Amino acid sequence: MINVIDLKKHFGQIKALNGVNQTIEKGEKVVIIGPSGCGKSTFLRCLNMLDTPTSGEVWFDGEQVNAKGCNVDRLRQKMGMVFQQFNLFPHKTIRENITLAPVQLKLMSEAQANENAMRLLERINLPEKADVYPRQLSGGQQQRVAIVRALAMNPEVMLFDEPTSALDPEMVGEVLEVMRELAHEGMTMVVVTHEMGFAREVATRCLFMDEGLVIEENAPSEFFQSPKHPRLQEFLSKVLH
Amino acid sequence: MFENFGQQLYDNIILLDRYLIYLDGLKNTLLLTFGAAIIGTIIGTLVAICKIYAKQKKVLKPLDILCDIYLTVIRGTPAMVQVLIFGYIIFKPNMSGNGMLPVAIFALGINSGAYVAEIVRSGIQAVDIGQSEAGRSLGLTNNKTMQLIILPQAVKNILPAIANEAIVLLKETAIVSIIAVADLTYSGILVRSRTFSPVPLLLIAAIYLIVVLIMTMGLRALERRLSRSDKRN
Repeated sequence: MINVIDLKKHFGQIKALNGVNQTIEKGEKVVIIGPSGCGKSTFLRCLNMLDTPTSGEVWFDGEQVNAKGCNVDRLRQKMGMVFQQFNLFPHKTIRENITLAPVQLKLMSEAQANENAMRLLERINLPEKADVYPRQLSGGQQQRVAIVRALAMNPEVMLFDEPTSALDPEMVGEVLEVMRELAHEGMTMVVVTHEMGFAREVATRCLFMDEGLVIEENAPSEFFQSPKHPRLQEFLSKVLH
Repeated sequence: MFENFGQQLYDNIILLDRYLIYLDGLKNTLLLTFGAAIIGTIIGTLVAICKIYAKQKKVLKPLDILCDIYLTVIRGTPAMVQVLIFGYIIFKPNMSGNGMLPVAIFALGINSGAYVAEIVRSGIQAVDIGQSEAGRSLGLTNNKTMQLIILPQAVKNILPAIANEAIVLLKETAIVSIIAVADLTYSGILVRSRTFSPVPLLLIAAIYLIVVLIMTMGLRALERRLSRSDKRN
């Protein structure tokens, strides 16, 4: 579904990605971990072209995303993204946040989109918040809404960029719960996170990135119990207490 | 200077219905202010949006250069000189009185646009980058994201600053008397040339001050109104 070939991304002198090769199949839940500054967020943002790769190729559904003339807007409709800072639209109600893109892109009528929004809000137990503004919600609630806002587009893959890093600890669980459900329903997911428990439980494959490269990848059981690369061993010894 | 102050007030305001001259001047000053503010806001917004788009697309580079020339020339020359050039060179020199009013509104609007452009640009850029990323990640085009997500939020940053610009503009309009537009300042000069009294100039100063105070009250109310939606509930 997603194919990445020798992906490089440089910000001036800083080499965020140094040649990443990855194939992500439909239904996989790929969790990317690594120290901060290792390029894991940049990798995720290159998949939907929020960052433009310096060189290399990114393919999605048989189309080269970073080719000249590729309609990135249309491909992005199929790649939902959830951000660390939620990024809900503060001037729109929760319902409008969810219906805005499907209605504007003429994928649904307003009535259909509203119905869909209510169904999604019920799924995250927030139907009573449909007509309030994002500021009136807690961080955890906002992030759950951000997830269903992306889901309202019926994406084929969901990209999560440290979705729980900006949350108070007691709100992390409710967001991870929504993501867990999504994984069980078979959604293809690429998740950048520091939640090792989530990675171990949900991932079908874990990647460890360091200095712009994927230096180890494995099924979570192997990945956490017998890490091979010394950098991963060192990293895990610091984050697993 | 102020002997027979009552008499002077009478001579400079009531006699020969002179208060009508000031009222007419005030009317033109207000027309100038709001006309130029509207033209300035339109031009400023267009220039700001051009400059922001030009940063993303290389094709728009010539437009960007054009905007830069406009900003540099307008901000680098005195407004009074600009008004003179508009009044005597660009438009027909034999226009006078009310014929000059639209020319003056236009000239001040062009001048104000250069300052509004900066206000709008910083207002748009003050909207968190995550907002446009969220819009784009949903598949919205650059234009739709700007129109539905960025601009509505930017307006909140921009409106108070534009209202403030209008207050500055009100005082700036006094310079159009140089091309014989019958604004408030011109009315003061006119009456003074008949009576040689200090009253007309002091009177128009007081009128400017009152209008500025009223506009400032309006600005405060606007700011309170806009900040209300920042609070929860």
